[in-house]
Formats: sequence, C-alpha cells, structure tokens
Amino acid sequence: MDPQESLRIAARSIRSHKLRSTLTVIGVVIGIASVVTFATFGASVKADVVGNVAGSGANNVYVFGQPADEEGFEQALQPVFTEHDVEQIAAMEGVQTVIPRGTVQVNSVTHSGDTVALQQVTATVPATVTNDSVVEGRAFRSGANETVVNEAAAASFAQNVTVGDRITVARSNETWTLTVVGIVNGTAGELPIGGFGPDPRVYVPTDPYYDTVVESPNQGVRQRAYPQLTVVADPVETLTVTERVESYLGADADARQLAPDGIELVARTSGDFAEEISDVIEQITRFVTGIAVIALVVGAIGIANIMLVSVTERTREIGIMKAVGARNRDVMELFLLEATLLGTGGALLGLPLGLAVGWAATRYAEVGFALAPTWSVLAVLVGVLVGVVAGLYPAWRAARVDPIDALRYE
Amino acid sequence: MAQPQSDPVVALSNVRKTYDLGGVVEALADVSLTLDRGSYAAVMGPSGSGKSTLLNLVGGLDTPTEGAVTVGGRDLSTATESERATVRGSDVGFVFQTFNLMPRLTAVENVALPLVFDGWSRTDRRERARELLADVGLTDRTDHRPSELSGGQRQRVAIARALAPTPQIILADEPTGNIDTETGDRIMDLLDDLHEAGNTILLVTHERHIAEHADRIVHVRDGVVERIETVTA
Ligand SMILES: Nc1ncnc2c1ncn2[C@@H]1O[C@H](COP(=O)(O)OP(=O)(O)OP(=O)(O)O)[C@@H](O)[C@H]1O
Ligand SMILES: [Mg+2]
Repeated sequence: MDPQESLRIAARSIRSHKLRSTLTVIGVVIGIASVVTFATFGASVKADVVGNVAGSGANNVYVFGQPADEEGFEQALQPVFTEHDVEQIAAMEGVQTVIPRGTVQVNSVTHSGDTVALQQVTATVPATVTNDSVVEGRAFRSGANETVVNEAAAASFAQNVTVGDRITVARSNETWTLTVVGIVNGTAGELPIGGFGPDPRVYVPTDPYYDTVVESPNQGVRQRAYPQLTVVADPVETLTVTERVESYLGADADARQLAPDGIELVARTSGDFAEEISDVIEQITRFVTGIAVIALVVGAIGIANIMLVSVTERTREIGIMKAVGARNRDVMELFLLEATLLGTGGALLGLPLGLAVGWAATRYAEVGFALAPTWSVLAVLVGVLVGVVAGLYPAWRAARVDPIDALRYE
Repeated sequence: MAQPQSDPVVALSNVRKTYDLGGVVEALADVSLTLDRGSYAAVMGPSGSGKSTLLNLVGGLDTPTEGAVTVGGRDLSTATESERATVRGSDVGFVFQTFNLMPRLTAVENVALPLVFDGWSRTDRRERARELLADVGLTDRTDHRPSELSGGQRQRVAIARALAPTPQIILADEPTGNIDTETGDRIMDLLDDLHEAGNTILLVTHERHIAEHADRIVHVRDGVVERIETVTA
C-alpha cells in the first residue's frame, strides 16, 4: 500500500493516544540516552586521560618493577635501581638524562602555621622540573634546603604557597625547613597514571633528603636505590633507548639482582601507558554501557506491551480494514510502522538528551568533551531496531485477526 | 420480466459452512444460488438461519467448508488470503448493520479507505470519495467523524464507502437494522437508486417491506434455501 498513507495512519494512531505514546517513547528515550551518556562520557574521559598521558613527555621512558603476573601499570615499590644503574643508563647512547625518583615517609607539612597531613614526599633530582611543568620559580638545587611543590600541594594550605615561602616537613625523628623555590603543575614527570586532578606533591632533592640505601652488587658499596627511574631520551631515539634499557635490565643491572622473585623490571614509554589506560577505560565504558543497554531492553518491552494493548483495542478496526480490502501484509505493515515510529522517536529524542547529559558529566568531572560517533549512530539504529523487533509479534497478531471475529468484537 | 441473458456475478454451488466450537454448528447446510449482473435480491429468514454467514461467504470474509463460491469469475473457496482481500477491496462493497466505520477517520477518509488498499493516489482517492459523498447527499459532512454523524448519515457514509472501488456487487447485512423507520426508508431509496443505476445488490433483512424493494426474495431456514420468491411490483 501507499507508504505515505501507511505513515499517516500509523502516526494518527500514535497521536490518538498521546499520553500512552509519550510514556512509551520516554522508555526508549531513557534507554538510548543512558547508552549515549555513558559512551560519550567514557570516550571523553579516555580522550582526556590519554591526551594527558601521551602529551606528557613522549620521549620519557619509565623504568620500574612490576609483579610478573600484572598486565597493567601496577608498580612494585622496592628500591632496586641503584646509583650504579642510574649512571649506566645515563651513559647510554640517546639518553639525555636519568631522573631517579623515590619516596620519603613523612608525617605532615606546615606552612604559615597551617599543618597538613602528608604521608610522603618525593625525592628526586632537579631535572624533574622541566620548562613544560614549571609554573613559577625554578628547580631546586641538589644539596640545598630547597623544595618544589605542585599546584595541588600549594593550594592545600589555608594560605596558598608561593615561591620564596618556607615550609616545614615533619618526620618521625626530624624536621626539615625548606624554601619553596618553584611551583609545578600536574605530577611532573611521574608515571602518568594518576586519575583526574593530580594529587598534592612535594619534591625534595635526593641529596640530602633521600636515605634509602642498599649494597650495589656490581660495586660492592652501599648506594642510594630508587623504586623508579625516568629516562629522558632523545625524541627520535625513544624506542631504541627503551630497548637498550630493557636489555640492560635483563643483563648486568644491579636491579636485576636486587629485584625480589616475581618482580619483573620494565621500561615503558608514555605511548605504552596511553594504550594500556585507553584499554582499561574502554573496558569500563563497554561494561557500563552494556548495563545501560538493559534500560533499552526495558524500553523495547514497553513498546511491545503497548502495541499488544493497541492490537486488542483496535481489533474491530483491523476487522474493518480487512473488510474493505486490507491484506494481512498491509495490517502487519501498519502496526510494525507504528512500533518503529515509537522506537525512532525515542532514539531521536534520546540521542541529544544523552549527548547533553554526557556533556554535563564531562563538565562535572572536568574533562574535555569528546563524541562517541559510533556509539551514537549505533544507539539511533538500535532505537529503530528496537521498535521493529518489539513490533514484530504484536503486528503478527494484528495481521492474523479474523475479520469476522473482529467485526463481531465489541 | 424475463432476463434477456444470464450473466452471473455471484454463484454459490452446494455450499456448506460449519463452525466447530466443541460441537459442530452447521450455519449453512447446502446452498446453491446465482445472482445475475444488475439483479437485486433480498435474503430473509429467522434469526440464526445463516443469512449473515451467506453474505460473509460471498464477500470473501469467510471461506466455505464445502462447495464453491464464485465472485466475478473467481472461486473464493480456493483463493489465497491475499486474493480474498482483493475481492473484499474491489469486487464487493459491504454495508453492515452496525456501520463499521473507522472511528478516528472523517467521512471522506472512511469512504477513501478501500481505495488506499486498492492502490489509488491520494488526490484521486479524495476526489472519488467527495463525489460519492455528494451522491449520497453528504456534501456538507465530509470532514465529520462518525461520532459526529447521525445513524442514517453513518449508513450513507458506509454505502458511499461500499461503492468506492466500483464493486461488482453490494452486500448489505440489515442496513436499516440500527436506524429508525423513516431514515431506513431513505437508505432503501438510496439502494433503489443504486440498483436503477445498474448495481447488483444482495440484501439481508428481517422485514418483509424492506425485502420487497428487491426483485427476488431468497427464503433461508436452517441453513438451506427454502424457496425463492419473485417480487411483483
Ligand atoms: N463465527 C461463528 N462461530 C460460531 N458459530 C457461528 C459463527 N457465525 C455464525 N455462527 C452460527 O451460525 C448460525 C448462523 O448464523 P448467522 O449469523 O448466519 O445467522 P443470521 O441468519 O444472520 O441471524 P440474525 O438474523 O440473528 O443475524 C448461528 O447458529 C450462529 O450461532
Ligand atoms: Mg445476521
């Protein structure tokens, strides 16, 4: 039959039950909108985090130990990389500098009379502070009573910390009074695995503040040892440096002998992290979006339900249509079209709503907004499909109505 | 009044129709009947004698249990569902006691409905429907819904709808059963006009004076044709 007329008839019967149709469509809208929201939010978080990670030091090679059965970026915190290792790696071709990084357990930090609890500060070398990361001031000097804090740490006191201020770090058996010489953003040069917003960080020079020492198997003397190194490579040699470092770690490194059983020493670039993180976020997104699909199924059931009611209510009308020449196919088509319109309407309203809520969520989480085009298109198609599938059985029932019975039907 | 030549539009031969609802109900036992083109026949008989069943079989709404029902040369007992739909849509026009109009459609849309399934274009449908409504005297009611029309007006819409696809035969099942006598007479006048214009009509009724509008009265009892009476004017 005339497709335009089919559309008109289907649209008319939807309009004749405004409230019912609206509620049914809302069911689909909620389903589609949740799928789009979660997919969009997931894509936004991924784009943001991966952007941060990949953007931060593409030529950094992160060297650390990790439990052998771990796939991701779980770090082992044993101090296995000795000064000897640092020197060996620093001497490699293509390596600009090696930044060792260790933690020092502390209790609290005080600034202008305001004391904040802090478990650890980061002991490292001045090269930690790069042009990219410094917001104000300069790097600390080795051997000086100087410190650099990140913006998160600077803001955690009653009075914001600025360059030139003094802070007091309290340990269980001593206190250090340090002059703040620089403020950095982010978590400068650390393993790029933080969540949103960086944690507060206080950086101090390894000399004199880092006191973890072990005996170097190669040198036979006691040296400082670190749980983590960041190797800054020549940008064009990042990959070869990664390989060189890995082969060193697998052969002569002190770390190899110091690392306990089950700990594997690895060298990773930020690209590797970006990949791992995006895998994880994608998995989470897929899982959550999968849950949202349940809402869509509920929406589909709503359509099927309302269509079945509609078939029963309109039995007499179906009989009339058949009596004036409608074929089973025509009746089937009309009801299927009606269900499809409900699904499509839900999808078309659900998509912008989902995008809007997704956008609001990214604002709330303070990450940039990114579209998930595949999911969005898929959501609309699924909405249409939901209508078709939900309409199939009711439409089949309608088509099978016997005109004689239907015309008797009161 | 000798028929010049027999030209059957509808032919039933040895038609039996049973309904099986636990026990078998025999609505029609053995009916043979021929309706010539341009003829006007009325079916009379007590309630439950099988009048409506007969009409439904001719109209392709139902299929016979045994025997053949031929409408416009097509045997409905062997036709597919879709072929019977075509017969319902273009070969016969049904007029029911309860009107059976689509409640949400206007008069003109109701009249145009059979043409939708017959593949007419929208403008042609409208034009034809308006003409037919004018023919039954409803020019000023084209955009009213059935609920806004009187019983007689509804039945006139139904008759216009039955005529829409220029059917070979008009089937009317107690068309005056739900309306008062005076309005009923007007409906009967309309059917007389249609007969005059050359339409073939098969009418079911309880009432003698209604049946006398026809040329022949087919008396049915317990599912068989008892006798066929020729009406003399
Ligand atoms: N769909 C059906 N299912 C079961 N039995 C039916 C069905 N249709 C008709 N019958 C039976 O067939 C018989 C004839 O019915 P039909 O409707 O043809 O009678 P009728 O002559 O039109 O009666 P009335 O004058 O009351 O309309 C009745 O006994 C009826 O109960
Ligand atoms: Mg009857």
